[in-house]
Formats: sequence, C-alpha cells, structure tokens
Amino acid sequence: METIFFYLVALVAVVSGFLVVRCQSPVNSALALVNTFFCLAVFYVMLYAPFMAAIQVIVYAGAIMVLILFVIMLLNLGTEARKRYTHGVVWAAIASLLVLVNVVFFIKRGRVTGAEGDITDYLIKTEGHTELIGKALYTEFLLPFEIASILLLVAIVGAVILAKKDV
Amino acid sequence: MLDSYLPIITLIVVALGFATGSIIFSRLVGQKKPSEVKLAPYECGMPPVGSARERFSVKFYIIAMLFIVFDIEVVFMYPWAVMFKRLGMFGFVEMGVFILILLVGYVYVWKKGALEWE
Amino acid sequence: MSVYHYLTVSAILFALGTYGVLTRRNAIVIFMCIELMLNSVNLTFIALSRHLNSLDGQIFVFFVMTVAAAEAAVGLALMIATFRNRETIDVDQINLLKW
Repeated sequence: METIFFYLVALVAVVSGFLVVRCQSPVNSALALVNTFFCLAVFYVMLYAPFMAAIQVIVYAGAIMVLILFVIMLLNLGTEARKRYTHGVVWAAIASLLVLVNVVFFIKRGRVTGAEGDITDYLIKTEGHTELIGKALYTEFLLPFEIASILLLVAIVGAVILAKKDV
Repeated sequence: MLDSYLPIITLIVVALGFATGSIIFSRLVGQKKPSEVKLAPYECGMPPVGSARERFSVKFYIIAMLFIVFDIEVVFMYPWAVMFKRLGMFGFVEMGVFILILLVGYVYVWKKGALEWE
Repeated sequence: MSVYHYLTVSAILFALGTYGVLTRRNAIVIFMCIELMLNSVNLTFIALSRHLNSLDGQIFVFFVMTVAAAEAAVGLALMIATFRNRETIDVDQINLLKW
C-alpha cells in the first residue's frame, strides 16, 4: 500500500517538475511548482517529519509562490507571445543527464552510512516532532538561529531598496 | 503514525472525486443549446474593456515581500512556543533578540514609507 | 520505502531543475527552477535524517527555507529593478555589466 502510494506521489512530483521546466507560460510553471511542493510535503509526512511538511506548505506553497505569482503579474509576461523561450537545449540536456546518471550511479552502488543519532520513530511518536525540532533548534543550533534573523533583516532592507521607486 | 493521515487522504479523494464526477456528469447529462445571448459575457452591465492581464502596482509587491519575511519569523516561533515552558528564561531571551533584530527591519521599512499607500 | 527511493526522486528533480536553469530564457522561470533544485536537496536532507535517526538534516532544511525566502524577496526585487531599467527580464538580453 505504502509502496504504491510512494510511486504515485513520486510520479506526480516528477511530472509536475517536468511541467515547470517545459511550460511556456510562467503562470503554468508556477502552478506546476506548487504541485511539486505539495508532493514533497507528502513525502515529508511519509518520512515522519510532519512539522517540516507543514512549514513546506506554509512557506513555499503559501508565501514564496504567492510572491512569484505577484511578480509574474507585475511584469505582465503573459501577453508577450514569445516563440523562443529556451536556449542551448542540447548542451543543457547533456549536462543534466550527466548529473542524473552520476547521482543515480552513486545511489545504486553506494551505501548510506554515517553517525547514527538517537531520534527514533518511537521518540518522535511520544515526544512530538515539533518539540524535538524546538529542542534542537533552541539549544544546539542557537547561533545559526540568531544569524538567520540578520539574514532576514538584510533581505528586508535589500528588497525595499531595490523595489521601491524613490527610496 | 501514518495511519492518522488516513482521514485526510480520504477527504482529498472524496473532494477530487466529487469535483471531477460532477463536471463529467453535467457534461454527459446536461443539455447544451448555446445561443448568442447566452454566450454574451453579462446580460446587463458593460462589455469587458481591455485584457485581464493588466500590470499590478509595485506597492502590492512590497507588502507581499514583507509578508514572506514575517511568515518565516512566525514559522521559527512555532517550535519555540511548543518548547517555551521547558526552555524557560533562556528561550525567552533568545527569541527576544531574534524579534528585536527583525523589529529593526520593520522600523526601517516604516520610516522609509514602504507601507504608505501613495 | 528505503532511503534510496527518496534519493532517486530527489536526483531526478535536481536534474530537471538543472535543465531548466540552463535552458530557460525567462528570469522568473529560472528562479522557479532554482527553487525546485533547493527543494530536491531538502528532500535529500530529510530522507537522510530519517535514515540516520538524527534531526540535524531537518534543522538544516529549516535554514534552507529561510535562505530561500530571503532569496525570493531580494531576487524578485532585483528582477523588478531590472525590468524598470531595461523593460525585459529575458536573460539573453540582459548581457551588459553596466548600463
């Protein structure tokens, strides 16, 4: 059952990823990208990371895609009927196929090993995923968390300076 | 744990099935007698002027951009709120620093007049 | 499902994103393809973090999302600024360092 479901979601994710790349209209690409994001959220749930699935939907599908759609409407690209919307197809196809073959080769031949942690499925079930994330984020990863706020501050200032007509 | 998502999947399947089913059913059963009056955009009111793909104002963009940044801030607050009791004063201070830094950005945006509706 | 299945899906998505970044001429679509690549890497992180029973990968995904949001705000603002000056965001026509 879970296997069939996995292959179904993977198929939808890959097909909508392909549509992102192939659709001529940016609005269609954006909607296909939302579809991919939802499929990835389903994967996160299947990987016992429900909080990640929630913020995937909130941040990516909810906020970033809205901003992208805003900009598409702002720049009004739908009316320009453009014949050529790609360039360098052959070389790009070779390059991306090389990336794919390379990665799949290593996935097939290799074995994933590494330092095992102690966050088991049982612990996630009893403690709660959000609690575990919070514990790790606010004790072990305290400095990156504070630096993230500076990153967001820079993003605010940069976007206002760039996008506002008369600063 | 995955079993607890079964109602959500059922809901999605039912919603999709109902939507596609009713469209197909009305296509099959409903009558189609198009006339010129029926195909007109409205029976009363103005005929549409120009394309629907007009350009939006940049003012919307700045609001949307600020929404993204503060959305991320709130996402950081969910695990903090869940762990608030166990983190105690330490957690309170670190989230205070985080919000203070973002508050600087908010004051900047406000002073620059990016939130004004010109 | 083993971790290898998830890694393969993420590799396919990453290759698609690479293809899109290299071929598309519209800067917004290039941006969306970069988001696709970031998401495929996020999937890798979460699959591995489950495989290794550790939360570090998921914390990393958290910060990747933060960076993606900052990137969306600044990158799209850059596109608006470019469009204001050049009336296009076709990357084949944005080929001058100074205007």
